Amino acid sequence: MLKLFDLIKTDTLQFSYTNGPEFTFPDINLKSGEHLLILGPSGIGKTTLLHVLAGLIPATKGSISIAGTNLGSLSRRAMDRFRGSYIGLIFQQYHFIRSLTVYENLTLRQSFPKKIVDKVRAEELAQRLGLLDNLNKKVTHLSQGQQQRLSIALGLIHKPDVVFADEPTSNLDDTNCSKVIELLKEEAERSKSSLVIITHDHRIKSHFENQLTL
Amino acid sequence: MSLGFLAFRNMVSKPLNLLLSLLLLVLSVSLVTFVLQLSKQLGSQLDKNIAPFDMVVGAKGSPLQLVLSSVLHVDVPTGNILMEEAEFLNKSPFIEAAIPVSYGDNYKGYRILGTEHAYLDKYQAVLSEGNLFTKPFEVVVGGIVAQKLGLKVGDTFVSSHGLASTSIEAHEDHPFVVKGLLKPTGTVIDRLLITNLESIWEAHEHGDEHEEEHEKEHEEEREVTSVLVKFKNPLGMVQLPRFINENTSMQAAMPGFEIQRLMGLLGSGVKTINGIALAILLVSGLSIFISLLKTIRERRQELALLRTYGLRTSQLLWLVFLEGLFLTLTGFFMGWLLGRLGIWAASYFTQASYGYGLQLFGPDLSELILLGVALLITILATLLASTSIFKLNISKTLSDA
Repeated sequence: MLKLFDLIKTDTLQFSYTNGPEFTFPDINLKSGEHLLILGPSGIGKTTLLHVLAGLIPATKGSISIAGTNLGSLSRRAMDRFRGSYIGLIFQQYHFIRSLTVYENLTLRQSFPKKIVDKVRAEELAQRLGLLDNLNKKVTHLSQGQQQRLSIALGLIHKPDVVFADEPTSNLDDTNCSKVIELLKEEAERSKSSLVIITHDHRIKSHFENQLTL
Repeated sequence: MSLGFLAFRNMVSKPLNLLLSLLLLVLSVSLVTFVLQLSKQLGSQLDKNIAPFDMVVGAKGSPLQLVLSSVLHVDVPTGNILMEEAEFLNKSPFIEAAIPVSYGDNYKGYRILGTEHAYLDKYQAVLSEGNLFTKPFEVVVGGIVAQKLGLKVGDTFVSSHGLASTSIEAHEDHPFVVKGLLKPTGTVIDRLLITNLESIWEAHEHGDEHEEEHEKEHEEEREVTSVLVKFKNPLGMVQLPRFINENTSMQAAMPGFEIQRLMGLLGSGVKTINGIALAILLVSGLSIFISLLKTIRERRQELALLRTYGLRTSQLLWLVFLEGLFLTLTGFFMGWLLGRLGIWAASYFTQASYGYGLQLFGPDLSELILLGVALLITILATLLASTSIFKLNISKTLSDA
C-alpha cells in the first residue's frame, strides 16, 4: 500500500458565473485511498464544484491542488494533459462517442493522452461490468443500465488518481442504487482511485465515511 | 486509437450526409478531369498526325475538310486534282517533299491509300514483317488494321468502292496482295492499307483488255486526291499557299492553322464545361462546409467529452479537418476514377466513329492542381466551420442535457 498523501486539497475556493450566482465552497482535504461524498440540495453549486475540481472551469478565487499539483499554475494545455491522465469523470448524463462501439469507446479513453491501449484491462473491466457481450455494439444500441455501467468503465479505465462522479444514482431504484455504488467502490479500489461523488441522493450516505454537506 | 480512425468513423456514421458531399465532389472532379483529358488527348493526337506536313494541296472546297480527309483520313475528300497541275511543287526550291496521295477504296471500312514510299518515312513507319509494295496491287498494312482484320503477308483481298464499308460495289477483278505489315506507330498510318498510286488508278479504269492503251492515254490526266507538302524553308509558307490559291484551280490548306481553328471552336466548349464543373466544385466545398458545421454542432458534447479525455483544442481541430480531408480525398479519387472510366468508355465511341482510340494516363499536372484547389477549399471549410471549437465551454456543454 502506498503511503498516504494529500490527494485533494482546496483552500477558500470560490466560483462566480458572469452575471450569475456566486458560490463559496468549504475546504476539502482528502487523503489518497479515501472516498468522499459531497451532499447538497439542487442549485447549491454541486456540479459547479465538481467541474472546478476537475479543472473544466477555473476557480475565481482560492486554490486547488490534486496529487500535489496546483491546478491554478497549469497552462491550458498542461491542464488538458493533467485531466486526461489523473482524473476520471462520470457524468450525470451519459456522454459517449456515438460513432464508435463500446470497445472502441473504452480504448479511445486509454489512448489519450498516453497512447497506450491495454486491451486486457478493457476486456476485464467490461467483463466485470457485464458489458463483455456488448463490446462490439454501437453505444447507441445499449440499454440504460448498460450505458450507466459503460460510463463507470470510462471513468475508471485509465486508472485515474481521482474519479469525480456527478449524481451517479439519480435515475435508479433502491436495489440498483446500492448495486451501482458497490460496483463503483469496488472498481475504484481495484484501480487504486479515490471516488468523489456529489449527489442529493441520501440513500447512499451509509456507503461512505467521509461526507461533506454543502 | 488514432484521431484518424475516429475521424473516419465519424465520417461514415452519417451515410446520407456523406453521400451528398461525395456525390457533388465526384461529379465535379470527374467532369473536369474527363474534359481536360479528352481535349488534351485530342490535341496531342492531332498534333502528332499533322506534324509531318506543312501544307496540303487539293481540290477547292473547305480547307478544314481537305486537312481532315487528306491528313487525318476522317472526312471525305474535296475532290481530285490533276497530277500535272501539282507537278510544279516538286520543282519549288522551298519544298523538301511533295507526296501525292490518292484514294477512293476501302477494305472492310479501312481506307486504301495510294502514295509513295516517302509517305511511310514521314510517319517513321517500320515494317514488322515482309516488304514494301513495289508493283500495283501490292499493299503494306497498318498496325491496327493488321491486328483487327488478322491480315498476314501473302493474303489477298478485294477492295470495295468508296470510303465506307457499307459500299456494295467491289473491284473483284483487281485483288490486292499483302506484301508487308507495319509496326504500330500511334498515328493515322496504323489504320490504313497503303499501296502505290498506280493501284488506285488501275482499279478505277474500266475495261481490262484495253488497259495498256488506257494507261498511255491517261498518262497526262492522272488524278490524285491531294499532295502533302513539307517545306524546306519558312519562306515557302509565306509565298506558296497564296500563289496556289490565287493562280491555280487547286487550294492550299495549312494543317496547323486549320487544326488550331478547330481546337479553338472545341476550346470554348471545353471552357464552358470546365466552368460548370468548377461551379459544382464550389458547391461541393460549400456542402463539405455545411456538413462539417453540422458535425460540430451535433457533436458538441462529444468534442467536450474528448477535452475531458485530455485532447487539446488543436487536436479537436485536427479531428474535424481529418474528417474533411478524408471526404475530399475519397471524393477526389472516386471522381478521378469515374473521369478515367469515362475516357475508357469514350474511347470505344471515338474508336468506332473516328478510328482514334483514347489512352488511359496517370494523373497529370492539371489534375494535381485541381486536387490542390479541392484541398484548399477543405481547409477553408474546416477553419470556417470550426470557430465554435475555440469557444467550446466544456463545463456548460457537458451539463446541458
